[in-house]
Amino acid sequence: MARFALALVLIPSFLNAEEPEKKATVDLAAIDGNIGDEDREHWAFQAVRRPQIPQVKNRDWVRNPIDQFVLAQLEKKGWQPAVTATPQALLRRVYLDLLGLPPTLKEQEQFLANPTPQQLDQLLARLLDRPGYGERWGRHWLDLVRYAETNGYERDGVKPHVWRYRDYVIRAFNEDLPYNRFILEQLAGDELSDASSETVLATGYYRLGPWDDEPANPKEDRFDQLDDIINTTSQVFLGMTLACARCHDHKFEPLTAHDYYRMVAIFVPLKRPQNGRTDLDRPAGNKSQLAKLAKRNQQIAAQNSRISQIRQPIQDKWLASGQSKLSKNALAALAIAADQRNNEQKKLIQAEQAKLDQEVTAALDEKSKAKIAIGQATIARLRQETPDLPQGYFYEELSPHAPQTHLLLRGRSNNPGPQVQPGLPTVLEKQQPAFLPADEQTTRRRLTLARWIARKENPLTVRVYVNRVWQHHFGSGLVRTPHDFGVMGAAPTHPELLDWLASWFVSEGNWSTKKLHRLIMSSNTYRMSRKSNPDYVAIDPENTLLWRNNFQRLEVEAIRDSMLAVSGQLNRKMYGPSMYPFVPRAAMEGHSDPNKIWKPFHEQEASRRTIYAHVKRSMVVPFLEVLDLCDTTQTTPQRLITSVAPQALTLFNGDFVNRQARHFASRLVHDAGADPAQQIKLAYRLALCRAPTLAEQKTLMTFFSAETEKFQQVDKAGKIDAARARQHALEQICRVILNLNEFCYPD
Amino acid sequence: MSLPWSRFTPNRTPCGQTRREFLWEAGAGFSGLALIDLLTRDGFFSESAQAQEKPKPNYLLAPKKTHFPAKATRAVFFFMNGGPSQVDTFDPKPELDKHHGEKYSGKLKVGSNGRPIGYLMKSPFPFTRHGESGLPISSLYPHVSKFADDLCVIRSMYTDTAAHASGCIQMNTGKVRIGTPSLGSWLNYGLGTISQDLPGFVVMTDPRGGPIASASNWSSGYVPAAYQGTLFRSSGSPLLNLATPEGTTERTQRDSLDLLNQLNAQHLQQRAGESELAARIESYELAYRMQTTATDVVDVEKEDQKTRERYGLDNKLTADFGRKCLITKRLLEKGVRFIQLYSGGGHIEDTWDGHTDCISNHKLHAGETDQPMAALMQDMKDCGLWDETLFIWGGEFGRTPTSEGVDKPGRDHNWHGFSTWLAGGGVKGGQAVGATDELGFGGVENRVHVSDLHATVLHLMGLDHNKLTYFYQGLDRRLTGPGEARVVKEVLA
Repeated sequence: MARFALALVLIPSFLNAEEPEKKATVDLAAIDGNIGDEDREHWAFQAVRRPQIPQVKNRDWVRNPIDQFVLAQLEKKGWQPAVTATPQALLRRVYLDLLGLPPTLKEQEQFLANPTPQQLDQLLARLLDRPGYGERWGRHWLDLVRYAETNGYERDGVKPHVWRYRDYVIRAFNEDLPYNRFILEQLAGDELSDASSETVLATGYYRLGPWDDEPANPKEDRFDQLDDIINTTSQVFLGMTLACARCHDHKFEPLTAHDYYRMVAIFVPLKRPQNGRTDLDRPAGNKSQLAKLAKRNQQIAAQNSRISQIRQPIQDKWLASGQSKLSKNALAALAIAADQRNNEQKKLIQAEQAKLDQEVTAALDEKSKAKIAIGQATIARLRQETPDLPQGYFYEELSPHAPQTHLLLRGRSNNPGPQVQPGLPTVLEKQQPAFLPADEQTTRRRLTLARWIARKENPLTVRVYVNRVWQHHFGSGLVRTPHDFGVMGAAPTHPELLDWLASWFVSEGNWSTKKLHRLIMSSNTYRMSRKSNPDYVAIDPENTLLWRNNFQRLEVEAIRDSMLAVSGQLNRKMYGPSMYPFVPRAAMEGHSDPNKIWKPFHEQEASRRTIYAHVKRSMVVPFLEVLDLCDTTQTTPQRLITSVAPQALTLFNGDFVNRQARHFASRLVHDAGADPAQQIKLAYRLALCRAPTLAEQKTLMTFFSAETEKFQQVDKAGKIDAARARQHALEQICRVILNLNEFCYPD
Repeated sequence: MSLPWSRFTPNRTPCGQTRREFLWEAGAGFSGLALIDLLTRDGFFSESAQAQEKPKPNYLLAPKKTHFPAKATRAVFFFMNGGPSQVDTFDPKPELDKHHGEKYSGKLKVGSNGRPIGYLMKSPFPFTRHGESGLPISSLYPHVSKFADDLCVIRSMYTDTAAHASGCIQMNTGKVRIGTPSLGSWLNYGLGTISQDLPGFVVMTDPRGGPIASASNWSSGYVPAAYQGTLFRSSGSPLLNLATPEGTTERTQRDSLDLLNQLNAQHLQQRAGESELAARIESYELAYRMQTTATDVVDVEKEDQKTRERYGLDNKLTADFGRKCLITKRLLEKGVRFIQLYSGGGHIEDTWDGHTDCISNHKLHAGETDQPMAALMQDMKDCGLWDETLFIWGGEFGRTPTSEGVDKPGRDHNWHGFSTWLAGGGVKGGQAVGATDELGFGGVENRVHVSDLHATVLHLMGLDHNKLTYFYQGLDRRLTGPGEARVVKEVLA
């Protein structure tokens, strides 16, 4: 590919945005010509073909074809897969993987009584049916789509009802919405023939990014918002870094600026519902629902107007009679014609409107009363017949006519080049397919795109998705650059396995994510121990051959939720507006509005699962931020894992863990009785899904006695409170257990 | 069967996110050094020597080599939040005096958000020439003006935005959109840390609140969170969760930590070679040490009377910023790479945003900061760290030479031309670089964009802004990219 074929005139950088720039001529066909057939040869752009399943020597180890692909590679090197993990480790692993919560005592007993591989298979099916599954896997999706509940910048306004998108995602996973349908609903849920409130809420996907309500340059900002959509969509669904082609052809990938603006043309009809700086929500419904609602609202307005007409003369008479008990100021304001009132007068009236209405109602004659009652009954009936639609947060496409799109030279909004039609990346589509014609409501450009992405023939869509699912089960994907399947991306460690999974997912799996989980988790590959092998580590430290299951730290949500589960405080309330975890006052000092940004702490609400925590872009909850929550401004394919000192400070000294440690201790006393040995045993089983070793038990008992004794010595102001001392020692033990490496690095 | 993936080159990961580097990232505390020590003891290096790939030396926070030799190793950014007026501070405009009270008839788009545009308004603060260089500085800065021969005032700064949020974000990250790493993050990414047990990027905000757009201003964006600015409070417990929890004695704290270490060590024994686990154990010890060191840094009560006076700790006006400057001195001595001090916080007149009365506003905010900044600079000269320390002073933009309405001494935002000064390591002092027009609206000579300032700051710290890159979402990202930026050569000594 001959790159940089564009003869663009170099312009001085950072000119004031108002200044016009020199024009350059650009030939769109020439740009397309930059992409050649050799660019299309890249493995990820080739159709998925089902490879043959390789033969292996150690057939006993094989539970399904995944094992054959993995074992074949290992056998080539003469390596052995790691042994199967212990039943306890496996049990904890599947619970944390699928639910992000540890198994309860009863669940442990049930499985461990007969811990066969087949029992585990059945358990998987049961866990996938639990609502906690969607809360765990929905969160992985929210990372990808830059989910946050505010816009960032100065006012950092709340995105109204955006949590309905979060709820949609949780439901989609719980209901095992086929992945191709999941794509269609998020990208074109409003344009589907069977659109519904749910599918329209799904298109909230587009609007989750940051928004500056006071942009430096409004024109440029509009393109920044489109860029956010293109950047997210191309990486999340296709594993392509198309946004790099905004100003010029991609430097490394066969993606052109023309490809980029073709995508702009697809999204350009989207409009943000707003009123100046105020971001607005909208009723979510399909076309006929919205039409019905609009009609109903008209009818209600007509009834209301009729009722007003009846009341107005009576109100006038009443006010003229001088009997009203309203304040003098309000009465004076009412004496002024409605369209002449200033804001202060309007406020005065508003403040006493209810009182006035009461007075007028009391003054109504029987005939008027009857007429009004009929009107009100009609309104009630209209509301019943056509209920309100849920309010949601999404863009709107309001017309079948799209504004023109131009290729922007050097990506600058004041430097338009030739006009561009909607289209798909040339490297994937040599001949541009025909786009659907507009219907009466929208351009259906997004629907065309969505269908193209969700086609089983799309070489990227399924590979990218199965790789993501694999990644969350093993810590890294078969392709280790999950957002980048381009020529600069990493090569798959097991290319045949990746293609076999992709092919299986579409044909046998019917795009069912739950089936894919069961396939992966039934394999012996998944069930291997995480134990290291010094010989293999020396040669393959990154475990690219999958000779063991990877050691990996839990995400902050699973850590926090597990702590709540262990302490007995977890509030299983699902869905709805977000909760506000405890944030120390000191953490808000860096904010420009420290007194207004957070709601008062309500422990029961705050003890809901972390996916329900409010995500505020200008102040991410410190507990979550410090423990490597994803970036809230851009799509995140994989969490970073760091072990910095502030994490230790947060987990050892912070309010949350110490609070849970106290609850945990109380629970142990309640459930295990007064014997510290029993308390410790129970604590280990609840927190780590295993009994303490003899050495651990001894270490903890020694600490317990010493701490109890020392605490009494310290506290000799009054009389010695032995029960308090024991409670204190147990709380410290609980605090330590919640901080153990094993707690957040399960194996 | 010829497979399409036979064209692979193995391990072609552009972002270098290999397991090797990942381990380094996993291990990074505030102290890379302590970790190296720990991992050496663990035999980490001998193990990696056998690995296919050699470990690259760009692990998170350990000291790294500069691109070329440079004097400055650390920097202080006095961020005058809200936008100080250039014509009232470091950019004298005699022509403005002459035309005082007249209407502005120039072409520039003046002001922001459709606020009223009044008349040209001269500065009430007389300018005097200072030092051997004769650099003119207004009467707002009686203390800083003693360093006239050290200051390099860039009078021709400009930026892309008239709004505080995008302005602060651009001054800090180079972009008007949130989500990219800030200057302090880039410096720590590029240079690593000197300090053993303090964060490499410290932010101290104003008691009236943080800057607009808040934490986005010290975000690490797409580079690892270990590089993000850490909010540091100037009294009590400076870091979040630094203090031992209420109701827990120091003795219990130590004993519980010992118990944790003991249990973690037993766990690690069964999993030899898991460096992430070892690093996590070390992070708890480091956190414990920080409880002492970081708390000591903010304890200024033991300072002698002379020091208290120099920093203005006993004067209500200067006490808060003075305290921060004194703590900054200690942080610099301990090797913290980048410290940002915000003057002004919250909104409008609580910041330098003098829409209503720019005169009293600037008297207040300059008054709060002048003496403390001078005391810090003097101390750096006295302790021999002057050459190693780069000082940056400025806000997100400047203010209009016009008032907002008749007889209203407020000034609106001005992003076409404003002043920023640099001093210290590698800076040629006693000069003004660039110029605004005769009335002080827009830069006309040697215009310096925010990204040019960033390129210059990186240069002064030994980094080439074109080489300091981070691969993210398909591209090598830069602080000054994707456009062009230049080092302002005139600034360099």
